Amino acid sequence: MKDWIAKIRGEYYRIKCNLFKKNIFIDKGLRIYGKFEIIGKGKVIIGKNCIISRVIGYKNCHVVLQTLNPNAIIKIGDNVSLFGARISSKFAIKISNDVLIEDSSIMDTDFHSIDKSRQTPSDENVNKCKIVIGNRVSIGARSIITKGVNIGHDSIVAPGSIIRKSVPPRSLVFGNPASFKQIPIQK
Amino acid sequence: MRIKTVSERNLLTISSSNPMEITIKNLYKAVKNPIRSFRIFKAFLRGLFYIIYYRIIKGNSVRIKFPFWAFYKVKIVGPGSVFIDKNCRVMKNLYQGLTIVTFSKNAKVKIGKKCSLGGLTIYCHHKIEIKDYTMTANSLVQDNLLCHIKMVKSLIKEKVLRPKPVIIGKNVWLGMLSCVLSGSIIGDYSVISIGSVCYDLKVKEYHLAIGNLVKRLLPIEHLLLLQRKNERLDCEN
Repeated sequence: MKDWIAKIRGEYYRIKCNLFKKNIFIDKGLRIYGKFEIIGKGKVIIGKNCIISRVIGYKNCHVVLQTLNPNAIIKIGDNVSLFGARISSKFAIKISNDVLIEDSSIMDTDFHSIDKSRQTPSDENVNKCKIVIGNRVSIGARSIITKGVNIGHDSIVAPGSIIRKSVPPRSLVFGNPASFKQIPIQK
Repeated sequence: MRIKTVSERNLLTISSSNPMEITIKNLYKAVKNPIRSFRIFKAFLRGLFYIIYYRIIKGNSVRIKFPFWAFYKVKIVGPGSVFIDKNCRVMKNLYQGLTIVTFSKNAKVKIGKKCSLGGLTIYCHHKIEIKDYTMTANSLVQDNLLCHIKMVKSLIKEKVLRPKPVIIGKNVWLGMLSCVLSGSIIGDYSVISIGSVCYDLKVKEYHLAIGNLVKRLLPIEHLLLLQRKNERLDCEN
């Protein structure tokens, strides 16, 4: 019963975006289980068979995709499931296929500079700050990913970790500042 | 070891004092501050409502013993079994009450008597046990690294994502925004500080755990001795 309502809701949202909002591209098979918001004028692309849901137990934590610039891009691949994720981009964020993101936040800017005036930071560009998350990555609750991070394939991020540097594939990530250890594939 | 016995003695003095004296003291407090007494009465009524509500909806799988003070919302989701002993309190902490989520039928959550659970969230796959007199702030207790295991498609998942039981001992204090993850066993009378994360770790009795991924444990006995020394030095100066 719940799945049917979610499918109908997703299809309704897809048709609404196709008609009225030209910056949002959504593919078939979207399922929406809770509140869902897209803010800003940037480009948002969502792939096939995605799941969007809120955190179980809290009403306030819902999925938010925010673009701060008209040139900004958020690209989400196929079979991605977002449980209360908050994504805000000024340049480019790419999330590949089969990714699971629980209640955590991804940002590719610092929003303010360290300078006294607290204005927009001057030394940020697309090549420096873009975030890429590889295939089959899963990210735990209460973790934060900052600018310029590249997370490799098959890695798992534990809850409560804060990532500032890029991570190689097949690694388990822990702590603040994040440290990782690599694990071979089990046959 | 000497100080541990002192803490035990403190617990005994609370329980062994005369029941008549306690009732007279409580009545005096209630008359002196009527708003507080009204709030406690409201919490008692709310707790009674939750006991009856979950008995009707969940049947025998969820059991809450009778004196249950709910100062804020309680939410229990899922097919697993939940047991809460008598005289537990749920306080409001960072706009959150108590939430318990069980993901399978074999999941077991057990909470001891006289716990004060403020803003605690529990995600259970296999087994979580919290013993008597524990105190929690807005913290997370998980049986596994991630809560939606079925969605994970990583190739290293079978090695890492295997639920292990979590046991939290008697009279433990969990600080704000702390996480207790799979395989961690916490001894009696120990403290977990704010923002710290425990994973696959054994905390001894009467120790303090600090750090995002806890690596080193500090004995509280030593810390208290150091504190007293510093106070003495301040007084002399």
